[in-house]
Amino acid sequence: MLVQSFPDEDHHFASSKYGQDWAGPDGDRLTLALSLMKQLPAKNIQLGRFSENLEFVSSVDVQEMIEASTDWIVDDKASYYLHSHADKYLVAITTSLNEPTWPEFGGIEFSPDLKNELKALWATEVVGVSQGAYVSQAQHLIASSARLGLLAQNDNGRLVWPPRQLNSRGDRIASATRQLSETATILSWTRLSAAGAPSEFSGRAPVLDGVSTVLVQFDEGPKGVFMLADDEDRTPEIDGTVRFDIRRLYGQDGMIHYGLKAVLVNS
Amino acid sequence: MVDVAMVGAGQTKFGNHPLGLKGMWSETIEKAISSVDHDFQSTDVEEAFIGSIAFGGSQLGNTAALLTEHSGMEGVSVRRVENACASSGFALRDAWMAIKSGQADVVVAGGIEKMNDLSASRKRYWLGVSGDTEWERLAGLTFPGTYALTARRYFHEFDATHDDLVHVSVKNHMHGFENEVAHLRKRVSFEKAQSGFMVADPLTLYDCCPTSDGASAVILVADHLAHKFTDTPVWVKGSGAGSDHLALHDRPSITQLRATQSAADKAYRTAGVSPKDIDLAEVHDCFTIAEVLATEDLGFTGRGNGGRFAREGEGRRNEGSVTINASGGLKSKGHPLGATGTGQAVEIFKQLRHQTEPSRQVRDAEIGLTHNVGGSGATCAVHIFGRER
Repeated sequence: MLVQSFPDEDHHFASSKYGQDWAGPDGDRLTLALSLMKQLPAKNIQLGRFSENLEFVSSVDVQEMIEASTDWIVDDKASYYLHSHADKYLVAITTSLNEPTWPEFGGIEFSPDLKNELKALWATEVVGVSQGAYVSQAQHLIASSARLGLLAQNDNGRLVWPPRQLNSRGDRIASATRQLSETATILSWTRLSAAGAPSEFSGRAPVLDGVSTVLVQFDEGPKGVFMLADDEDRTPEIDGTVRFDIRRLYGQDGMIHYGLKAVLVNS
Repeated sequence: MVDVAMVGAGQTKFGNHPLGLKGMWSETIEKAISSVDHDFQSTDVEEAFIGSIAFGGSQLGNTAALLTEHSGMEGVSVRRVENACASSGFALRDAWMAIKSGQADVVVAGGIEKMNDLSASRKRYWLGVSGDTEWERLAGLTFPGTYALTARRYFHEFDATHDDLVHVSVKNHMHGFENEVAHLRKRVSFEKAQSGFMVADPLTLYDCCPTSDGASAVILVADHLAHKFTDTPVWVKGSGAGSDHLALHDRPSITQLRATQSAADKAYRTAGVSPKDIDLAEVHDCFTIAEVLATEDLGFTGRGNGGRFAREGEGRRNEGSVTINASGGLKSKGHPLGATGTGQAVEIFKQLRHQTEPSRQVRDAEIGLTHNVGGSGATCAVHIFGRER
């Protein structure tokens, strides 16, 4: 992500690494906003007219997404405001309800054809109906603090993630309260061809030449699997490090499912 | 306690079968009954356990009742058993326990799957339904992906390379070439298997089993009835089953299957034998790395030696220390999910009675083992069979 901050005015702007014309294969204005918020000290914030410029807006609970994945609190009396550009893939956090004067963002060159193809594929995917494996929006949200915020449960000193109900003694494990590290170590990885990828990705996988997944371990012990993002020119390595970023995972039944993806740090 | 004998066994050819569920199942029951040496009627059956995922959803509910209705077993107590790819391995175990407990004397265990009459998009949906839907699938994983993660980690931890997996593929195609009921009856050269299309790095097409149609069934009876039906029963000497975390990331290690280890331990103990007593084993090689892990988890070789075991040809028919996948395994014989477990038992039935095609008969086969895994190792059933009680 590219960020321009003007601390004197407390104005912060962000675009993707592709600049103001595209948020990338799995990004949008919401993922940009969440990434920007994670880079700034957490405060209370008003949503203003931010949601009006989101794609597939009816499927997204912006407040839920912000509070599950960052320490920011949505508050209609807050002195900070979240903004999104109507046409460009730009977001901002300012101290004014009025739309800011947007700076120019350049970025990595990309193929307009690829951008348009992926945009169309997302639109097709999100109206598709599952015929097999299915995770409802409700089920997706039940675990949102773990899925988006990496909150783990503490079971007598052992951290548990993703969430569980009972431990091996049959005792109920308390709600998640411990934040896992924001980086993790790669234990293994694979790149699935379009033919090997799950059906949820059957539209985009051929265009993106497959999907990559890593199995990682957090310093605190728990392990997890994540899709890789921004790995176009990079190959993972066992024992390498990843960080996490919120991206679109897939669309189905009218909803975009968001989650964390791993980004290579030092491979 | 009652001993359990297998007196009949049959299966369809695995592959692209022209018939649907009812047709495949009735063909299987017909073959199983005709394999019984003395007079046997479908009305002799008291209980039936049929493994299936009901792939494609064409008959998701009451699958088993439909099948028994169309195979002359109308009225029998029947149920579908579902544990992903281990469905009929568990159906076999349930049938064994029904007789062991004294609740039934004549039981059918079987399995069925119709996979290749679906559109490509519907098949893709169904191929992923047995993994961890919420966390693994959303991270882009299907079973080729989970086994690819395992393979890469295995190569990292132990003295093994992808070439060791190629040896597994070449061997199983060599075994399956001569099996009349195998799906992929073709020999594959080392060079061809080595350079296959990459499905999930590092696994190529030649590391992956095919999707097959098929059905299989065995007839089990209590010991006092065994010689009423045959002079050469195959005894189900031991049975064991285990389970583990559904998702790879919840397991302490991804280079061993605890469900297999647990199931094997129970099966060896109930049979009163050890790994060195096994002459042939049908193991669950849905992906070639799975056979490497199985040879370790079943005790045929030590931990970390599975690559060497494959490389040195230890599992080749009549050449190594134990014949692994004389049928061709899932890789060549095929993998009609719910039918695979009892399909393995059908192969052991024929091998122990020395009734296979002569060219692929395992010499002096006395004790055989089946190993049927659900998904990436969440469930496993292991059975041990012998010519002697």
